[in-house]
Amino acid sequence: MDFLIHLAEGFIGMFQEGGETFMGLVTGIIPMLVVLITAVNALVRFIGEERVNKFAQKCTKFFILRYTIFPFLAVFFLTNPMCYTFGRFLPEKQKPAFYDSAVSFVHPITGLFPHANPAELFVWMGIAAGITELGLSLGPLALRFLLVGIIVMLIRGIVTEIITDRMLKSRNAA
Amino acid sequence: MSEYKSVKVVKGPSGWGGPLIITPSDQQKYIISVTGGGVHKVAQEIADRTGGIAIDGFEKSVPKEEIAAAVINCGGTARSGVYPRMGVKTINTYSNSPSGPLLKFINEGNFVSGVDVRNIEDLEAEEIAASSIEESQPSNLMDKKIAQQLKEEAKAKVRENNSEKGKKKNPIMKLIEVLGNKVGNVVSVFFQSGRDTIETVIKNILPFMAFVSALMGIITFTGIGDFIANLVAPMATSLIGMLIISLVAAIPIVSPLLAPGAVIAQVVGVLIGVEIANGNIPPQMALPALFAINPQVGTDFVPVGLTLGEAEPETIEVGVPAVLFSRLITGPIAVIIAYFASFGLYS
Repeated sequence: MDFLIHLAEGFIGMFQEGGETFMGLVTGIIPMLVVLITAVNALVRFIGEERVNKFAQKCTKFFILRYTIFPFLAVFFLTNPMCYTFGRFLPEKQKPAFYDSAVSFVHPITGLFPHANPAELFVWMGIAAGITELGLSLGPLALRFLLVGIIVMLIRGIVTEIITDRMLKSRNAA
Repeated sequence: MSEYKSVKVVKGPSGWGGPLIITPSDQQKYIISVTGGGVHKVAQEIADRTGGIAIDGFEKSVPKEEIAAAVINCGGTARSGVYPRMGVKTINTYSNSPSGPLLKFINEGNFVSGVDVRNIEDLEAEEIAASSIEESQPSNLMDKKIAQQLKEEAKAKVRENNSEKGKKKNPIMKLIEVLGNKVGNVVSVFFQSGRDTIETVIKNILPFMAFVSALMGIITFTGIGDFIANLVAPMATSLIGMLIISLVAAIPIVSPLLAPGAVIAQVVGVLIGVEIANGNIPPQMALPALFAINPQVGTDFVPVGLTLGEAEPETIEVGVPAVLFSRLITGPIAVIIAYFASFGLYS
């Protein structure tokens, strides 16, 4: 009997622990998140898709802008997964590189702009929760995450563009 | 044939619903503009193109049976629901999605939002012909002539009314109307953004929080946590360890298996967060860890992502392996960059 009681208490305890975690997440993160996402969503609506499209197309010519500002605009304004539709502004051989570049950014952006990918917040938030628990501020990490994210998307864009180019050439030669 | 034409009204860039096909008839000849400040340009455009009559719904009321379409600028829930409920095709110039107490009456067959003048398209000639033949058969020629006369009269009357109104209108009233419309627009944008946000929180964020919480409860309570800590923590404390993690996750056969929904990256992120909180992983390692656990991002989604970018099938064929192989190189590079970028963080 004692064993069963012990077991039952353990069973409930496991979910009490989980419940506390859930409560912490809901009260600690959601209020700020709701206000932030609302504000950014409104901003995106005010600016309007067409103005973004027009500006973004100007960034496609130079490879540095093509794999930094261009995917940044795509992810910020269209969010995951509609951001990949920006590939239509690029010639065929650059599309895989753009996809690689944009998809690499859908997590680094969430540190500062969670509206861009709300379904996958915990890549960032899981680790951020540990930092918060230590009493450290998240700002420096979020900013560096974003900046390194931009460098990484540039590198991914360039490397994938080179690889795509080679594969297309060897394909045509064969 | 018939003096009425059809137009197709499609939703705007951030709108919802539609496309609606608007075809006035002798019974339903009015395009009612319930927007305030006279006849809205969208209503006028539809009327001009279809041969219907645009009227200002605030100045004049017509029975709902005679309305071909209603143009509204409703940022809230009232007008957006009332007209669909009455069975009137509703065109909203604001980009609302259905909500509010009348939500159940609004559907893609009777409501379209975010509409501007350029979202109105003339329908193909054959389609018009096909639809108008059916309609015009029962009415004989006499009726039609009379109807046409009546319509012209009505049109002239409305025009007269409008021009009179235009002259009479007090500049202060005009200012209030313009101001009201602008403020209404701003409020509606914020309101819709809030609505979208709450929907996202309920549909995407809360469910994942529930999942994470249940997982955390089990992990911390059963002691699996200690086991994982012994396994993951040593890997995540050194550059070499993280490079190994990123290399494994970037293997072209492995990465598409790890990627879906970023679920694995999210779970591992939570685990590393716990270990950081427990002091087993130094906080500055958080930055390289964020990249070490995620070199597989999006590798399952390459064909879909490329299709969204309107890529040719040949591009997709080449693009998938190109992205997968690229990750083998760029995955570890990202970790190294993040490692050096973490110097001076939290110290």
